[in-house]
Amino acid sequence: MKEVVVHPERCVGCKQCMLACTTAHSKTKSLLSAVLEEPKPHPRVHVGAGIYGEGFPNRCRHCDPAPCLQGCLPGAIYRYERTQSVLIDPDRCINCLSCAMACPFGVIRYHQDALSLPGKTIAIKCDNCMERQAKGIIPACVESCMTGALTFEECNESLRRKTKEVARRMSLGAEERTSSGRAPGFALLTSLKQAQTAINERLPRREARHE
Amino acid sequence: MRHVVIGNGISGISAVETIRNIDPQARITLIAGESFPPYSRPMISMVLEGAVRADRLPLRPEKFYESLQIEPVIGEWVGKIDTENCLVETDRGNRFAYDRLLIATGADPRPLKVPGANLANVFFMRTQAHVQAMLDAISAGARNAVVLGGGLVGLKAAYGLLHRGLNVKLLIRSGYPLSMQVDEFAGKILLQKLVDRGLEVRVGAEPAAFEGNGKVKEAVLTDGTRLQCDMAVIGKGVNPAVSFLPRDKIKVDLGVVVDEHLETSLPGVFAAGDVAEHFDIVRKTRWVNALWPVAVEQGRLAGMNMAGRKVCYPGSLSRNVIRIFGTDVLTAGLVNPPASGDFDSVFSYDGHANTYRKLVFRGDNLVGLVMVNCVEQGGVLMSLIHNEIPIRIRAPRERLVAPSFNYSQLMLK
Repeated sequence: MKEVVVHPERCVGCKQCMLACTTAHSKTKSLLSAVLEEPKPHPRVHVGAGIYGEGFPNRCRHCDPAPCLQGCLPGAIYRYERTQSVLIDPDRCINCLSCAMACPFGVIRYHQDALSLPGKTIAIKCDNCMERQAKGIIPACVESCMTGALTFEECNESLRRKTKEVARRMSLGAEERTSSGRAPGFALLTSLKQAQTAINERLPRREARHE
Repeated sequence: MRHVVIGNGISGISAVETIRNIDPQARITLIAGESFPPYSRPMISMVLEGAVRADRLPLRPEKFYESLQIEPVIGEWVGKIDTENCLVETDRGNRFAYDRLLIATGADPRPLKVPGANLANVFFMRTQAHVQAMLDAISAGARNAVVLGGGLVGLKAAYGLLHRGLNVKLLIRSGYPLSMQVDEFAGKILLQKLVDRGLEVRVGAEPAAFEGNGKVKEAVLTDGTRLQCDMAVIGKGVNPAVSFLPRDKIKVDLGVVVDEHLETSLPGVFAAGDVAEHFDIVRKTRWVNALWPVAVEQGRLAGMNMAGRKVCYPGSLSRNVIRIFGTDVLTAGLVNPPASGDFDSVFSYDGHANTYRKLVFRGDNLVGLVMVNCVEQGGVLMSLIHNEIPIRIRAPRERLVAPSFNYSQLMLK
């Protein structure tokens, strides 16, 4: 089964996914008219800043078991088996915030929505673009992502591709031979390690906190 | 394997679903005292309020028992357990043999030991039947209500009755509502909101007696004040329902004491939910956390262990969230830490937006939080408490409660 895979290292924080998500979940499905809609449509994916100010697309992980589903008081949150998505029934939702307390990723928001009865505030989160997927279209956030930070693929396929990428960079091809005699991937790995060391140095040690 | 589960609350239901999922052959008997189908107990106050109808309470499809091939025993209460012969006996004399037994009997409202507490129209609010009785009293003309207790049940009862157009007086023993869940500052914010919304609140008030001829007419407070009322709701907490258990065979403290597999001191007998006494992650001691999400996770884990999958339960965390009277309050862990010990707390308050955040630390670990009106990220912080992740930051801790808080600020000095 294909799912949305997040590659945070590729995110540049352009927030195009938020815009596309908002549009995809509006009534009119067009950006120009969506901004005039009432209630105003909101995104289900939220781009936050990472360690270096780079972007991080924070999206529902559709956990299994899902803490929000287990904690839902009216039984409004359920798993849709076909796409393994955790969904919220807008009619059953009572806006009790139990899922806000349960979600370890903070991806659920509370507002009126095109899905809700007029005037009713409900819990809103990513639905894996159920409506688009039913028509055979990939999720809007993935479609809008220009850097490959969001992909729609089999999870195992994504892992295999990454393993291959690393392996290719680490293996020595005649045309890639550098003056050091090492594959170019080693330079990349070294820089990653250096970055990790830099982060560790910035973090205070346990005993140093009360300085 | 014969499984018997006592109680069709959310813990018992989660357990039978888990057992059936793991073992399609198991014989499962569910003994349900309440005859209403498995329902959402926290939602009964919404039926009182009139926001939902009672037919919205059931949590599972109509054919739930049949589809899982569970033998339900409905409307019978377990009277005793014969641990020698592994038998459970109900009040109607029916006996059920078990190989694995789950005690998921939940909790009963804590009775109020004052004269007149058994008068008509003095209610608890714990079951669907209680709420139905309250609605009947309102239909019969009740107009003035007294609600005792500033906890979640008291607040929800007061809110519901106010929405039904009754005059409601809320009596709170401590100085502010939710005193078991929040600190004084957050409690005072909520108190102001209750008053603004037209609720008459009396703090430091305790009932001494109810008076009336068969039916409640007056509540008398310890300071001698007399309050006219034609109905009263008692919301003074709950006690684990353990009265039928043989205490010489099964270890019972406040609740049924269970180990990391949710097994009681008697092998083969498990307990989960509001009746079980396990371990509190931040208090570091045995504790009964009678909470909905805890009941779900314990029921599920108990089911796994009963079906032969040995899974450890790390312990629970006291937590609560309520959106009521136009205010959101989310709390977890220790919010009023004892004066002794390595505790440290930070808070921020924005009077304009009426938002308040408080975090309590023990050493490097977050152990408690209170959030008022900015609760959407509460689950993230709660998981830091739950997973005991040390928070080591160079920036002052006050940054954590700043409205513009961003995790990257912790890393970049």
